[in-house]
Amino acid sequence: MSQYKIIFTGPVGAGKTTAIDSISDEPPIKTDASATDMTKSRKAETTVAMDYGVMNLDDGEKIHLYGTPGQERFNFMWDILTVGGIGLILLLDNTRADPFQDLHFFLDSFGDFISDTSVAIGVTQMDLSSKPSIEDYHKQLQETDLKPAVFSVDARVKNDVSLLVQALLFSLDPGLEDE
Amino acid sequence: MKNKKGAIKIALYGMDERACKTMAMYLKGPCKGIAVVTNEVNAEIDLIDADYSKAKELLDERKSVTPDRPLILLSLEEVLIEGTFFVKKPIEIETLVAAIKQATSGSIKKTKPIAKKEEKGEKELEKTAEIETTETTESPVVEKKKAATKHVDSEEVKKTSKHRTAKDLTESKFSAYMGHIEGVDFSDPEHLLKASFNAKEYFFGYVQSALKVCKAKGRILQLNSGWKPLLIFPQSQEVWLDADDKQLRAFAGLSIKKNASKGMSLSPIEKSTVKANEKMENFYDSDYFLWKLAVWTSKGRYPDVIDINKPVYLKQWPNFTRLLVTPHSMRIAALLVREPRTAMSIANALKIKPQYVFVFISAANSLGLVGQAKRQSDALIAPAKVKASKAKGLLSRILGRLRG
Repeated sequence: MSQYKIIFTGPVGAGKTTAIDSISDEPPIKTDASATDMTKSRKAETTVAMDYGVMNLDDGEKIHLYGTPGQERFNFMWDILTVGGIGLILLLDNTRADPFQDLHFFLDSFGDFISDTSVAIGVTQMDLSSKPSIEDYHKQLQETDLKPAVFSVDARVKNDVSLLVQALLFSLDPGLEDE
Repeated sequence: MKNKKGAIKIALYGMDERACKTMAMYLKGPCKGIAVVTNEVNAEIDLIDADYSKAKELLDERKSVTPDRPLILLSLEEVLIEGTFFVKKPIEIETLVAAIKQATSGSIKKTKPIAKKEEKGEKELEKTAEIETTETTESPVVEKKKAATKHVDSEEVKKTSKHRTAKDLTESKFSAYMGHIEGVDFSDPEHLLKASFNAKEYFFGYVQSALKVCKAKGRILQLNSGWKPLLIFPQSQEVWLDADDKQLRAFAGLSIKKNASKGMSLSPIEKSTVKANEKMENFYDSDYFLWKLAVWTSKGRYPDVIDINKPVYLKQWPNFTRLLVTPHSMRIAALLVREPRTAMSIANALKIKPQYVFVFISAANSLGLVGQAKRQSDALIAPAKVKASKAKGLLSRILGRLRG
């Protein structure tokens, strides 16, 4: 049976683990550890390998949800993780000092994968910091050839994460039936 | 330990990720950068959430590992423990700053014990001494950590309506939600061509116009309509209205005759006199408000400023998680963001009823996301056929799973 997977990426603290938790049918396997580097200033524990969740489909098929570790020093894993991936969910933390830098960094890092599949972007923590706005992100994206969905997302809210993943699916094929 | 150039390093314990982040931004913003959050190795002060279930173990551990490091305890209830500083929750800036200053001044060693240790389940012990409140000396320079976070907008957090997740409406739910328009048979091609509305004849049009005026003037305005006043805040792109959806939907559907429109007016409001923040839940994102009004005004019709025989384009995806997700709207957006199409071309490509396309166009147009394609080539060349993905079956099953 093929391994189908959706990849969740983004900087430390953007909500990847939480987002996977929101839509996973099984308790997600976390590989968090106590942070000992600069990450510690943002969260007590951070993902050092990857997070993993599963969506069970009616026919017994499983969709694997993989969260990449946020720290750049683990980016050697990203290429491995994306093999066979359906598409990319990029989560960005709006309270970070420069979320646009994160945006461009991750779009560049996953450029090949995105060109082969698609990407949908979720901006988290907008209830804590409303700037930059979603419109500002779209302006940044004008520098690229991409016109992805960019949504405000609370990673704890299943509906938010679900809509973001749906946008990814429709980007891949607008003809999908949703009724 | 602190001077004007540096920030005190504080380690947080017993807090989840979100609390840590909020705390970090609270220290940086409201507390004017008096301290930054760091790890337990580099910290100068330890701060423990005493309401955390394992707070006592954390406290014991910190006392054991770093006995000379000042400790601040946060709690909803007063917790007086010898050798620690206490800050009551919800935290107030002055209290926290004072506690940090006290802790860094080393004055704790000069004062009498604050209280005896309180054990869980035991009765609260009497306070034996007051924390010294005199001004402390400035602490030595510490290296200021590069700011990684920004200021938390505490008012923003209270605006719950602004950050609520979207309603995702299916066809069956949507008809009841949207309402219907008399005299339009959407199954009749002749009727379709005439199924338009003039925004200027509805509350929606006045709100749309008022938002533009407000943005241009850059000041808070009140739209008076003879109904409930609508306050418009251009800087934060918010509106404030004391009405529920049912009331608003009813008013949105009323056609405003020309003579009645004379009652519409805009009046400036001074920020100091705005009492709207008494009901923070009545703040709405102006895009959400306008989108919703457009849906209720459209009722399946399209705005007459759009020529449905000519292609339209979508500038960008709407922020669906904070809007109303009308039936098929995500599919329409995904298709239209690729290339311009006419409304009927969209309906045919996606095999959906035209009124769902019209509703989407009405809503997206209200936010300026839709434009009429003007290039000759857009009307000249038929849009590409929608190619089904090779994994269509799988993607559809994932979609079905997500939509429950």
